[in-house]
Amino acid sequence: MDEDKKVIIYSTPTCMYCKMAKEFFDEKGVSYEDINVAEDEAARNLMIEKTGQMGVPVINVGEEYIVGFDQEKLSSLLGV
Amino acid sequence: MSEPGVYDLIIIGSGAAGYGAAIYAGRYLMKPVVIRGKFGGETATAGQIWNYPGVPGADGYELMKAMEKQALDSEATQVDGKVVSAKRDDGGCYTITVETPKGEQLEYQANTLIFAQGAERRRLGLPNEDELTGKGVHYCVTCDGPVYGGKEIAIVGGGDASVKGIIDLAKYVSKIYFIVRSDKLRAEPINIEEMEKLGNQVEILYETKVEAINGESKLESVTLSKEYNGSKDLKVDGLFVEIGADPQVAVAESIGVELDENGYIRVNNLMETNISGAFAAGDTVNAFGAFKQTITAAATGAVAATSAYNYRRTKGNLCEVHWRVPSDVEGKPAES
Repeated sequence: MDEDKKVIIYSTPTCMYCKMAKEFFDEKGVSYEDINVAEDEAARNLMIEKTGQMGVPVINVGEEYIVGFDQEKLSSLLGV
Repeated sequence: MSEPGVYDLIIIGSGAAGYGAAIYAGRYLMKPVVIRGKFGGETATAGQIWNYPGVPGADGYELMKAMEKQALDSEATQVDGKVVSAKRDDGGCYTITVETPKGEQLEYQANTLIFAQGAERRRLGLPNEDELTGKGVHYCVTCDGPVYGGKEIAIVGGGDASVKGIIDLAKYVSKIYFIVRSDKLRAEPINIEEMEKLGNQVEILYETKVEAINGESKLESVTLSKEYNGSKDLKVDGLFVEIGADPQVAVAESIGVELDENGYIRVNNLMETNISGAFAAGDTVNAFGAFKQTITAAATGAVAATSAYNYRRTKGNLCEVHWRVPSDVEGKPAES
């Protein structure tokens, strides 16, 4: 597992794909920062600026932003 | 993950119908494998569930996690992936090929099969819909609604999902334009009553369609089929689409399963299709008309599993793959 890459998930509390992504990280032992964009407006704006997306989850791994819960891509980026 | 190979029952789908079937199959000591595509089906994205017995106000996702756990505790196994091909040989054996998220192709075989792939959210079918998806146009209120805190949004619909969506969205947004094609709503009266309590936070535009969605990098406005406040152009920050869902029947059709005139898998009241050993359940079947609920999905899944069990008890020796593996099925051919 690549432990150098910081993982941030931009999520909302009711989003099932966010929950699935977080369960995936927990299962694989990946530590992550969870930011609730329903409450954190600055983080929401940053997420939109980086991706042009208003859909969640947006997952930031190192330099990359992944829109949606793309298990295959996350596995490859994190080496899990 | 389930190992590829021979099972008693393959369940394609991991919503209330699929897990309902898996729980019952486990009770019958069958060996089922669930092909887990989009986890949790419609229930998982429905927000709070108020009409499933025993768990009023349950979160839809948590309810589906509980059903999944119950299925796995009942000895069901599952594999993540999408079905890339389905075949039935002359001996009544089904071979389902699944592509996993890692790109592997795995083969599962059984002599009974349940289609429980549910339905896929309908899209508006407008020219730049793909480009604006996630950039103002959304199909999941519970996922993306909270991102629109303090904004003005529109929702297209008229059925129960759209009215429930409005009740959810109202916690976050400042104004909701409810665009309804017909002249009345088709939602549960209790939900309509709840929505009406929101007062003028919700503006209902009856007999109105969305004719265009406008914007370059993000949604800026929608064009309505008739004027509202003197203009067909309605400026909104977000548009949520809740116009129903189409049954997912491609895999079933590929082995010759019959559909009804509305595109649903045609089943009898035992959830049997026209193909021997193939059953179907949930939002994909023509049972109960347009009434598609978590409770009907789980119930039809239970019925389909029971029918699959009875099928194996009476016709379990039809599938040659089972001759090669230990089986407790009555009437199995003698080992040769």
